[in-house]
Amino acid sequence: MKLIKKAVLLWALLVTAPAIAAPNNFLVSTDWLEKNLNDPKLRIIEVSVDTGVYERGHIQNAVNFKWHSDLVDPVQRDIASKEKFETLLRQAGINNDSTIVIYGDNNNWFAAWGAWVFDVYGVQNVKLLDGGRKKWEAEKRPLTPLATKVNPGTIKIADANNAIRAKLAEVVVIANKKSDIALVDIRSNDEFTGKIFAPAGFQETAIRAGHIPGAVNVPWSQAVAEDGTFKSADELRKIYAAAGIDGTKPIVTYCRIGERSSHTWFALSKILGYDVKNYDGSWTEYGNSVGNPVINTAGTVWGGK
Amino acid sequence: MAKIKIIYNTVPSFKDYLGIIIVLALSFSVNASIEDVQGGTALSLSLWLGLAFGAVLQRSRFCFYCVSRDFIELKDAKGLLGIITALIVGTIGYHLIFGAFLLEPVAPRLPPNAHIAPVSWVLILGSLSFGFGMAIAGSCISAQLYRLGEGLLSAIFAFLGIIIGFVLAFLSWNYLYLSSIQQAPLIWFPHYFGYQGSIIVQILLLTMLALVLVKLHKQQKEKKIIQQWWNVKWHTYVGGILVALIAIIAFLRVSPLGVTAEIGSIARTSAGYFNILPVRLEGLDTLRGCITIIKETFWSNNGLFIFGVVLGSFALATFSGDFKIQIPKIKESIRSFVGGILMGFGSMLALGCTVGTLLSGIMAASLSGWIFLLFCGIGLYLGWLFRNKYKLT
Repeated sequence: MKLIKKAVLLWALLVTAPAIAAPNNFLVSTDWLEKNLNDPKLRIIEVSVDTGVYERGHIQNAVNFKWHSDLVDPVQRDIASKEKFETLLRQAGINNDSTIVIYGDNNNWFAAWGAWVFDVYGVQNVKLLDGGRKKWEAEKRPLTPLATKVNPGTIKIADANNAIRAKLAEVVVIANKKSDIALVDIRSNDEFTGKIFAPAGFQETAIRAGHIPGAVNVPWSQAVAEDGTFKSADELRKIYAAAGIDGTKPIVTYCRIGERSSHTWFALSKILGYDVKNYDGSWTEYGNSVGNPVINTAGTVWGGK
Repeated sequence: MAKIKIIYNTVPSFKDYLGIIIVLALSFSVNASIEDVQGGTALSLSLWLGLAFGAVLQRSRFCFYCVSRDFIELKDAKGLLGIITALIVGTIGYHLIFGAFLLEPVAPRLPPNAHIAPVSWVLILGSLSFGFGMAIAGSCISAQLYRLGEGLLSAIFAFLGIIIGFVLAFLSWNYLYLSSIQQAPLIWFPHYFGYQGSIIVQILLLTMLALVLVKLHKQQKEKKIIQQWWNVKWHTYVGGILVALIAIIAFLRVSPLGVTAEIGSIARTSAGYFNILPVRLEGLDTLRGCITIIKETFWSNNGLFIFGVVLGSFALATFSGDFKIQIPKIKESIRSFVGGILMGFGSMLALGCTVGTLLSGIMAASLSGWIFLLFCGIGLYLGWLFRNKYKLT
């Protein structure tokens, strides 16, 4: 009898557990999101790079954050100020007890960057939609072109937390081997070695090619499975361990402008639980800085054009 | 104009369907090859919308220069009224979509990709050049496309000219951008009047324009013609309504209608091989309209769209007996070529032509569309005078 009671209790617990409890602390599946779309505490944010993508079809109830204007300071190179970001979140209907799911195009690059900005300002309960737009679309889940109307929220955010953000001075210390922090360069191997100054389609964005001394090269895409989701924690652990990144030392990730490295930052810090900072200045800052060591194994010389 | 007696109780013979069959077979095979690539839905939609657009232009003779000439020479305003119909229906559809994309029109937010272009003297220069060029060439760019589908081979010379015109505009671009366009305002009516006010302003302006045209319209002498139902041209207002519907669907699902982005991209990419263009066209990627890019993939949305326009026109031209291969005389070839240069130059600077800037701009309630309408009209009239004076016809 007791056993039955226990079983009933356990069953009741399982069934009535709040729907909002996501399977993973920092990732939600497309399936989970579709089932919980109408949860009043859920706020969905799209951060895509391509214009018109959100407007022509987004996940129901999602609000659009524009990377180039909403999440940054458009004049000075910086992330959005505390006041600006708080206003943005309130306009999106976010409260302190909201659960926030972020997704976007291009394998969640900019969505991951968004998640990093949320984290800098100490916003709780922020998750990425695993696989992002790509997986949602591939699974033929519904999209709507109707803009989302939300009642303003009341969230209060913390001051910027620089424990997850690396600045140039700190990176220069690492480059000069005066600190015991691991550096992960997540750009392509051609950028890492210095064969090219910038990826195809971009003008040069730094007038030196190569990488920061001490960095290991693990292109961001190695963290992604075929369907756009993150690989499992075990797989990720192996991939980074093979490059000597095992979480025993603090880590700094960087790329060209700091957005793809947010993707790796997310994998290392949220999925593997390592101590990671994202260097958002990245190569466009470091490669242009004066008097700091650079490794360019390809031997390319900047032509002045 | 003609009083037409239509015969209904007959069907076309098999050979009349051949064009449609060929076009459908070709379209389905192209469609199969693009469906599975990244962004395949937009590519596929662009192709089918292009086919529909070409078919409608062909059947309703939606040619901006031809209908303007009818009005100037014969005081026949029917064709121009068809364009106004398109603008009224399109205005309503566009605003309904605006409300879905952007709940409230609060500056500086703009609906995505809508053709809201900077208003500056460069836009005026581009519009005048375009209007003058279309009068010299005998039809604007979209009409060259559909008339190519009807077998008008002089269109090929026009396209060569258009490409050269684009290159000339690219060479002037950086100077014009930095001296004027960069500081020029984007004027979108909903920012000033709200969505409802913007619809009212637009419809009032368009209705007034229509009333002026109706007032000046002269009933044409009618001669009797007997035609089979499949030979009959559609009324221009029918064409106008259908053009507006295609424009609305295109804006909702892909991007606003335009026919010059791909031609410009071809011009830019080919000129790139000869290293004659500036490495960077300042600010071009920050603007809205028919923006050219350097081609990286064979098929693009706009490329498939204009490919569809030619095919759609060909299908219905052959079906309705309008298809006729016309080999141009030297004079006509030169005229098309020179007019093409002026049109290419004008549409690059105006970031679109009668479709991308006039139709898609006015439907989007952008002042740039209205400016284009006015100055393209003036340019067209001057071009028509020039053409008559030097007997270019």
